[in-house]
Amino acid sequence: MTGLAGAPTTAGPVGDARAGGPFAEDLDAYRLALREHLRAEPALGHFRDRRYPSTEARMADHARLERLLHDGGWNRYGWPPAAGGLGGDERHRAVLYDELAAAGLPIPGQHMLLETLGPPVLRFTPDLAAEHLPAYLRGEEWWGQGFSEPEAGSDLASLRCRARRDGDTYVVTGQKLWTSHGATATRLVCLVRTGTPQARHRGLSMIMIDVGAPGVTIRPIAMANGDNELAEVFFDDVVVPASRLIGAEGQGWAVAMYLLQFERAMYAWLCAAEALRRLRELRGQLAAGAAAGRTLPADAATRLGEAYAHLVALRARSADTVRRLAAGDTVGPEASIDKVLLATAEICLHDTARDLLSDEFLFATEDAPDATAPAAAAAPAAAARSEEIAQWRTDWWFSRSATILGGSAEVQRTILADHVLGLPKETKP
Amino acid sequence: MISSPAAETGLDAATAELLAGSLREVLAKNPDGPGLGSALEELGWDEVLADDRAGATTLLFVEHGRALATSRVLDDVLLAELAPSLPAPGAGTRVPFYPLATAAPVPPGAPLAGLVLGGWEGVTEVVVPVALDGRVELALVPAGQVAALARPAGGFDPASRWLLVEGPVDGLTEHTLPDGGAWEHAVAAGRRALAAEIIGVCAAALAIAVEHTSARVQYGRQIATFQAVRHRLSEAHVATESARSILTVAWAALDHPDGGVGAARLAKLRAGWAQGEVMRHVLQVCGAMGLSLEHQLHRHVSRAAALDALLGGHRALTAQLGADLLAGADFDPVVEI
Repeated sequence: MTGLAGAPTTAGPVGDARAGGPFAEDLDAYRLALREHLRAEPALGHFRDRRYPSTEARMADHARLERLLHDGGWNRYGWPPAAGGLGGDERHRAVLYDELAAAGLPIPGQHMLLETLGPPVLRFTPDLAAEHLPAYLRGEEWWGQGFSEPEAGSDLASLRCRARRDGDTYVVTGQKLWTSHGATATRLVCLVRTGTPQARHRGLSMIMIDVGAPGVTIRPIAMANGDNELAEVFFDDVVVPASRLIGAEGQGWAVAMYLLQFERAMYAWLCAAEALRRLRELRGQLAAGAAAGRTLPADAATRLGEAYAHLVALRARSADTVRRLAAGDTVGPEASIDKVLLATAEICLHDTARDLLSDEFLFATEDAPDATAPAAAAAPAAAARSEEIAQWRTDWWFSRSATILGGSAEVQRTILADHVLGLPKETKP
Repeated sequence: MISSPAAETGLDAATAELLAGSLREVLAKNPDGPGLGSALEELGWDEVLADDRAGATTLLFVEHGRALATSRVLDDVLLAELAPSLPAPGAGTRVPFYPLATAAPVPPGAPLAGLVLGGWEGVTEVVVPVALDGRVELALVPAGQVAALARPAGGFDPASRWLLVEGPVDGLTEHTLPDGGAWEHAVAAGRRALAAEIIGVCAAALAIAVEHTSARVQYGRQIATFQAVRHRLSEAHVATESARSILTVAWAALDHPDGGVGAARLAKLRAGWAQGEVMRHVLQVCGAMGLSLEHQLHRHVSRAAALDALLGGHRALTAQLGADLLAGADFDPVVEI
């Protein structure tokens, strides 16, 4: 077992929390200790091969996983002691995701947005981070990201949701759409307009809003797979303390650009780690199918090889970007390469699963007891199989968002054309 | 613009820039032939190589690709790995044989099907990998015997100067030497070098396409202002940069338990895939000009395809990789933080 938070021991991963944990300066020691913990800790078994009926159920259970990781100190590395962490840098977080995936465990869904929203809150509003990040790391709260609006998808500079200063508060009115984790989060980090619409990106600010505040209405949006992964959020004169501003008023675009570095680097690495676990699972499922007499499509080897090669290529690129971030470098427009590679790998993995699972992926008889099914003893295995396939269907839809969310594939290619290749600018109509 | 020589190697930026400049000069003077070896010697290349094998090899082969050079420097890369398993060479030159497909050793009794990278002047023996009872052995075949089976490998890349070798060699398995794993490592080293060379060809082709589309005016505007064109060029850039990243990883994988063999295969596979992407896009945006003999682009397209085929084309390697995985091979993460 591992030391408890705050315990003055160097035997466990926590150590003297104020000064950072014993692994803060030793990434390899962290990796090995974590690997051993994930292998040996019986409480983690619950989370292996676990499927959930809904996003809400998954997030609730993942919060328990987060708590377990927190109590051992493991997910506190990569965050400063002042914000509930144990020190170290982005590489510790990257190692956590990699080791979780290698151990056949899910990466808590909460960490996806922690990776994009945590760093800017920490960087621009340390007080706010000190207040809320510890609870986030404990799995007690998590945040959604409210950027897009009905009239502002990829084109964020035209967003209209308004925050008006009123004494020590802001009054927020407007709407957000496609808010990630909007259906389950307790707070939303929103990009809002504090200046004039004509000011475009110069008139924006970033602010943290409690979902429970009077005037906030959340309408979950079911994705094509039926999961409430996203939401629509309405703000009707919502009063927010000015202390919730992340960065200065009017600095929202700079905060968003800072955030994007982490979205391109850490989020991509996290997704790649998870995707490698899923590819490994897919092979197991294909082998089980073959053992049960199913025929693999003729191009199965090539498809599997291709998906794996895309993933390793993504890891190769992403590792370098993560190291640059950890070294304090600014990751610029070239990070759109990471984003394109991530989308390519995600789409390829899920198309591979769809095509190699073939008929099983496409067709299922739900809740209909099969009259020809073998003895009852085989039923749990059949149910587990059908859950595994259902997961791929759900994930397939989510994988399609890889070229849409966080700046569409078109936006990424335009960034590269403008800022990396230096091509003449596209002419506006 | 796209990436500095330093980004391609582990050398420091100023040194890499200086060396790249020298290499470009040397390659411009010796684009295809035996002169390159002595020119590199004059440049003190052995010292650079000793200082930073990864950086120097990548730099040399990227520039070799960029210049569309046809020398036998790749032979040297393979021979360096094979040397410990072979007797000291005599007065003549020794060259390796490059089996086609996945560069697998020649099975007993099978005819040769592969390439050598140039003519026979001064060449006395050819190193041929042979598969014997599940292990690899090396045969030193007199050059004349192989030359009798060789003819110029024209086809898609008539400028390659390579020779296609097809046919049976008598007594191939009679006097073989245990390879001690050397062939596998020679292939891996060759694949790292070839990945760099393909990257060089791709970078040059992309530069041509960027220049062309920025100059060419249609409908009253530069065609590089059209989104469809811009996005193709961005995709070509992504493919090239991705090949660079994994090549860096392949060099860092030399201390992997497999000696970097797996990562080298991935690097070559991804470079081969990248050239497919890059050439498809640049050919389109250069229009009919890119298809013409007088324009230089076709030379890049052909060379990249030929280099892809050497030591395992990306399609063959992908199928092989996938078959390994289906058979239970580890999903090696290859890259760690």
